[in-house]
Amino acid sequence: MALKQISSNKCFGGLQKVFEHDSVELSCKMKFAVYLPPKAETGKCPALYWLSGLTCTEQNFILKSGYHQAASEHGLIIIAPDTSPRGCNIKGEDDSWDFGTGAGFYVDATEDPWKTNYRMYSYITEELPQLINANFPVDPQRMSIFGHSMGGHGALICTLKNPGKYKSVSAFAPICNPVLCPWGKKAFSGYLGTDESKWKAYDATHLVKSYPGSQLDILIDQGKDDQFLSDGQLLPDNFIAACTEKKIPVVFRLQEGYDHSYYFIATFITDHIRHHAKYLNA
Amino acid sequence: MEEEMGETPGLGRSAAPKDFHFYHMDLYDSEDRLPIFPEENTRMGREAVQAEMTNEPRGAVKGKTQRDLEEEVDEFVHLYGLEDDHELGDVFIDETMPRIEVSEYPPYVMTGIEPAKEQRDWRLSGEAAKAEDLGFGGWGSAGQCQDLREAYRYAHGRASEEYECYVIPEEEDEEEAADVFCVTCKTPIRTLEKAFDEHKEHEVTPLNKALESAKDEIHKNMFKLEKQIIEMENFASHLEEVFITVEENFGRQEKNFESHYNEILETLTQKYEEKIQALGEKKKEKLEALYGQLVTCGENLDTCKELMETIEEMCHEEKVDFIKDAVAMADRLGKFLKTETDVEISAQPDFEDQTLDFSDVEQLMGSINTIPAPSAPVINPQAPNSATGSSVRVCWSIYSDDTVESYQLSYRPVRDSSPGRDRAEFTMTVKETYCSVTNLVPNTQYEFWVTAQNRAGLSPASECAVYMTAPSPPIIKSKEIRSCEEAALICWESGNLNPVDSYTVELTPAEMPEASGVTESVVGIPTCECLVQLQPWQSYVISVRALNVGGPSARSEPATVHTTGSYFPLNEHTCHPWLTVSEDGLTVVRSARKAPTKEPLPSDTRFSRCVAVMGNLIPVRGRHYWEAEVDECLDYTVGVAFDDVPKQEDLGANRLSWCMRHTFASARHKYEFLHNKTTPDIRITVSPRKIGILLDYENSKLSFFNVDISQHLYTFSCQLRQFVHPCFSLEKPGCLKIHNGISMPKHVTFY
Repeated sequence: MALKQISSNKCFGGLQKVFEHDSVELSCKMKFAVYLPPKAETGKCPALYWLSGLTCTEQNFILKSGYHQAASEHGLIIIAPDTSPRGCNIKGEDDSWDFGTGAGFYVDATEDPWKTNYRMYSYITEELPQLINANFPVDPQRMSIFGHSMGGHGALICTLKNPGKYKSVSAFAPICNPVLCPWGKKAFSGYLGTDESKWKAYDATHLVKSYPGSQLDILIDQGKDDQFLSDGQLLPDNFIAACTEKKIPVVFRLQEGYDHSYYFIATFITDHIRHHAKYLNA
Repeated sequence: MEEEMGETPGLGRSAAPKDFHFYHMDLYDSEDRLPIFPEENTRMGREAVQAEMTNEPRGAVKGKTQRDLEEEVDEFVHLYGLEDDHELGDVFIDETMPRIEVSEYPPYVMTGIEPAKEQRDWRLSGEAAKAEDLGFGGWGSAGQCQDLREAYRYAHGRASEEYECYVIPEEEDEEEAADVFCVTCKTPIRTLEKAFDEHKEHEVTPLNKALESAKDEIHKNMFKLEKQIIEMENFASHLEEVFITVEENFGRQEKNFESHYNEILETLTQKYEEKIQALGEKKKEKLEALYGQLVTCGENLDTCKELMETIEEMCHEEKVDFIKDAVAMADRLGKFLKTETDVEISAQPDFEDQTLDFSDVEQLMGSINTIPAPSAPVINPQAPNSATGSSVRVCWSIYSDDTVESYQLSYRPVRDSSPGRDRAEFTMTVKETYCSVTNLVPNTQYEFWVTAQNRAGLSPASECAVYMTAPSPPIIKSKEIRSCEEAALICWESGNLNPVDSYTVELTPAEMPEASGVTESVVGIPTCECLVQLQPWQSYVISVRALNVGGPSARSEPATVHTTGSYFPLNEHTCHPWLTVSEDGLTVVRSARKAPTKEPLPSDTRFSRCVAVMGNLIPVRGRHYWEAEVDECLDYTVGVAFDDVPKQEDLGANRLSWCMRHTFASARHKYEFLHNKTTPDIRITVSPRKIGILLDYENSKLSFFNVDISQHLYTFSCQLRQFVHPCFSLEKPGCLKIHNGISMPKHVTFY
């Protein structure tokens, strides 16, 4: 579990670092980014995990979202892992941008040849938090999660499948109902097989329906001019309807004129970090 | 000591020793005044007066008495010396006194303890030194002691009977010091003596014990004496005052007598001169009359004589001639005789009895004992803060040489209009040069004037002075108090018809009742409202006073202010006619019965389109938080608006309001966050039943929350250059409950 520091840059009084380690869960070398705010020098801080979207690495978020100032002010350690195992030499892993490398979909694959390496769900919810808790000044009791697109889907399912594990959750343009969208169908059939009933275990909209009702406060921002929204990849309405029915608190903000890009994320990242800080620093 | 005693009997000596003090001529010069013996007080006083008058020998006797007393002091000094040095071997001898008695010498014991009294001080030290030099020698024998006592009595004169003295002779016997005290003989003896001498049958106590009890006794007496000294000093200063008063009064009377007697003498002199003059004139007149008569008488005599001569001559004439002449003569004579010869005395030699009129003198004499009528008093202007709402304290003064028995104080209210019947006048008689006039009307001017009066009559009236009663207490509009964590806006009704000068707001933290509650005051408030700065999370009791030149009014009824959260009342002037506000001002109801068909008239203050009401939030920048409790299915709008938001428009339909609107239609909840008719597209999955509203002037933000689940709903960024007020609107029948004056939940502090 040795960590290898790849980079370290001072940013808003804290340090933006990137580490590499050998992942047991994924059986490959994995990189992750971690931001240590100034407050981490003197005490334990809450940990906030960011899950990126399709094709992303740990770099996209730390380079583009501009989250550092808010994280520095609220004293949050923010961890941004990669989006899939890499360099596993699985046939077809690099064939398409929306499956395989860069598209782990935060599930534990059950199908060959993916099931050995593509265990992103376990990596995100188990291995990585243990690694972080062991190596950084974090308070293990205070942990939250958020993400974008496929990462938004990941954040929602991690929260919904583990009531109480995360203090709060939020998402930018999440894939809300993957079993019904082209991306989800492709990924789930690849990683989980053709039995669609198994897919529901990784579908936020379905998970909500059986969520036991631990206190949640979900913030979702969605660009109105997001091409994937109109393509029916994201399907937030289904998720909202399910939450309304189950009285799961969601504030869903359809932001006029914004698309799916990091420009959109950068615009509202501060709102999201404040949302998490409210619960993590309460 | 013995030497001095020896001198003392020498009564005849004329030269007073240097510390020989007469009872001072000036009774009231306290520094040199001798302390007065309580029992002797009156007699001493009398003696003193006598000495003052004429009695030199008595003064000498008096001085002697003092002298003797001084010697007693020395003895006490001696005694104290004994105590201080613990010379246990020293001896008391007192043959005649049944017990040690010192209470009769109060001032002298005192002087021992109060060296501050100079007069005593130097004497004391001098004598004490002398006593030491003597080394207590020759004090042992009873015979010597007896001599001393006699000398003492002799010196004492009349006082000696009351001043029982005792002396403390001492025995200097180093080899065989006395160690027990014979109670029977009252003398210290040696133990050996006890066995053999006359003390054989006597009761004895250890000397130490005897000494202790003697000391106790002395200390007790000293305490009594101390008290007596204080009493006497007080009495003396009282006498001093009386003396001054007597001097003043008699001086005045002397002057009065003098002027009266002078006046009488002058009058008498004048009368004397008048009489003398009148008498002289009368005399002259009489003499002149008599002289005139004398002259006339002489003339007649001459005429008679001439006639006689002529007749005689005629007799010597011839007959014819005689006859001729005789006829003529007879006629002439007849004529002459016909004229009356006045022989009545025209003036009487004695003078007529004249009565002297002394009535005016008598009157003057009678008036010697009366006093002149006083001159007009001078009425003072009103002293600041001397009035209450129903009373004023009027003061005046008189010229010092006027004697006044009473004053008549008159007053009437000052009114600008109608100087007619309602200007009733009131008069009261008082003895002092001040009067508290009560039962007046608050905040009203009265004019006062005063006349002084004594047996001789009434003075002219003083000038009029205008006094003003303090105002009535204001009435706090407790339902209109607004507050936040740093301040409160208090408003009140004047409580007075006429304007007052200013108001004072007094605030006391309620947590600490009277004991430590510091009352802060805000003074000089010109209007009927005041924004006071306060500490957060406290309760304050606030009251208001009105002020005018007469003084402050009583406190108003207090109001309580809590600085927890922001508290605002609803402004009923803005309330749409279809809305009713509950008694506590916190619940807004739109009745379910069919609303009146008639639309309300457009107005600047009252909402006429949206069925809304506005709250009066305190005009303080900072953060304000309140909550609105609603039914999930109710159509409502909550938010803020400027005062001048168009009342005939919906909330959020302009740039002057920001609000959250909920509409419930076909089982769907719709939430809009409206400003200038636009709203972001926001979906909320759980309908709030309690909406938290956070107004943050500093960060120009207005945020809405679902209170029950601490969920942030939306935040407006709004430029708030003026103050805004909370608004509540009900688009359908139902009710909305406002919670204010509550502390801000922690979760809202992140926005």
